[in-house]
Amino acid sequence: MWWSNLFENMSPQSFVNFSFLPKYTVFFTQGVVYTLLLAIVSVALAVIPALLLALMRLSKKKLVKGISGAYIAVFRSTPLLVQLSIIYFGLFGVIQIPRVVLFDFIDLSRFIPGVVALALNSSAYVAEIFRAGILAVDVGQTEAARSLGMTNWQSMRLVVLPQAIKNILPALANEVVTMVKESSICSMLGMAELMFGAKTVASSTYITLSPYVMAALIYFAINYPASKVIEAIERRMRRGDKR
Amino acid sequence: MATNDKLISVQHLVKEYNQGEVVALNDCNLELGKGEVVAIIGPSGSGKSTLLRSLNLLETPSRGAIYFEGVNLADKSVDINLHRQKMGMVFQHFNLFPHKTVLQNIVMAPVTLKLKNKAGAEAQAYQLLDRIGLRDKANEYPNMLSGGQKQRIAIVRALAMDPEVMLFDEPTSALDPEMVGEVLDLMRDLAKEGITMVVVTHEMGFAREVASRVVFMTDGSIREENTPSELFDHPQDPRLQDFLSKVL
Repeated sequence: MWWSNLFENMSPQSFVNFSFLPKYTVFFTQGVVYTLLLAIVSVALAVIPALLLALMRLSKKKLVKGISGAYIAVFRSTPLLVQLSIIYFGLFGVIQIPRVVLFDFIDLSRFIPGVVALALNSSAYVAEIFRAGILAVDVGQTEAARSLGMTNWQSMRLVVLPQAIKNILPALANEVVTMVKESSICSMLGMAELMFGAKTVASSTYITLSPYVMAALIYFAINYPASKVIEAIERRMRRGDKR
Repeated sequence: MATNDKLISVQHLVKEYNQGEVVALNDCNLELGKGEVVAIIGPSGSGKSTLLRSLNLLETPSRGAIYFEGVNLADKSVDINLHRQKMGMVFQHFNLFPHKTVLQNIVMAPVTLKLKNKAGAEAQAYQLLDRIGLRDKANEYPNMLSGGQKQRIAIVRALAMDPEVMLFDEPTSALDPEMVGEVLDLMRDLAKEGITMVVVTHEMGFAREVASRVVFMTDGSIREENTPSELFDHPQDPRLQDFLSKVL
């Protein structure tokens, strides 16, 4: 039968053939560290530009608003892999990063372009998170601050942002979870993160499926508990919100 | 300029939305001298709040002038923040800062704007809290307070800026009935002290008793303006007569 071969390839053993493990464990452990660094550092780097983009988006000046809107539109409407390739080969074809290797497996000449690309992409999404968080604060708060003579920025900094932050933080944590997954695309450009580790193991051992199953298990083991914790925190915050 | 010695002079003020499709204020003129208490009454949607909020430019006028201490606030080159410091405003929904304590609410603006140092602002805040009998709430957060307490603290927060005029936007409309009295009492005291006030209100008793002048608005226009006794006892405008027959 034509499908007998298919079943042979998809046997239960091929899913859980972890015979590569003791020897190749390091690819996964280093891969996880690389992945987490990519996700956390890029979202952290995205925070300041994102705040700027959000404030620009909320500005009354058409030009300022337009620039920010265009940036957000471009980064949200093109694939991350395309952005990554353009930044990697374009921007960092011009700016050469020296080949410095940290902890024996993080090659900065690849890591930095990757982080920059992810951060630029993430800032478009985080900007929308900030914007929504700011808009969720009652406009009466701004009016009260402004009526006391405080400037736009003073009322934003002292009154609106401290209240917006509790809408923003959980969404920001979710963005890290998203980035843990999305950063797998960096394997396409040779960054030694988790997906790249799985790919390397698969091609060196000729075990085609199980390394990816292993990677999936690790991604899940990180993201599922993380999103559950975020959910719980969100629920707690909402309860403390009754004023 | 034709501002004479008035504290506030509103001249031919127009506020339009959607390129003139909706006219919220239609050629409003209003003068306010130091120490005066002006009550603005009228049916809902008549433009009372819009007029009040135009005075400190929370609403930007479409046309016309608002002179405050001789300066036209509607002029785009004016730094409105400087003038707002001298115009206290009290809102229907209090708008206390929920993430700050009562004390921090009161001292935030004077300290941030460097009008007072922290110690001076706090000393004044405690004095103001003493006056309204809420010193013991200084370190509480607003969500621990009743509506009446919140509104009295909002009034005190505005007073901490030592304003030239206090603007009240329906200050008792969001309160439970049993708390209206404590807020009106405080406002009555302020009026007696000679603080200049503009009050948008549905409390006709308060307007009659405390105001030196009452302004009746409907459909974005000021229809009648008089002393409380004249306006309430001998209303001229038919719309005012109709309005009073419904609310009194």
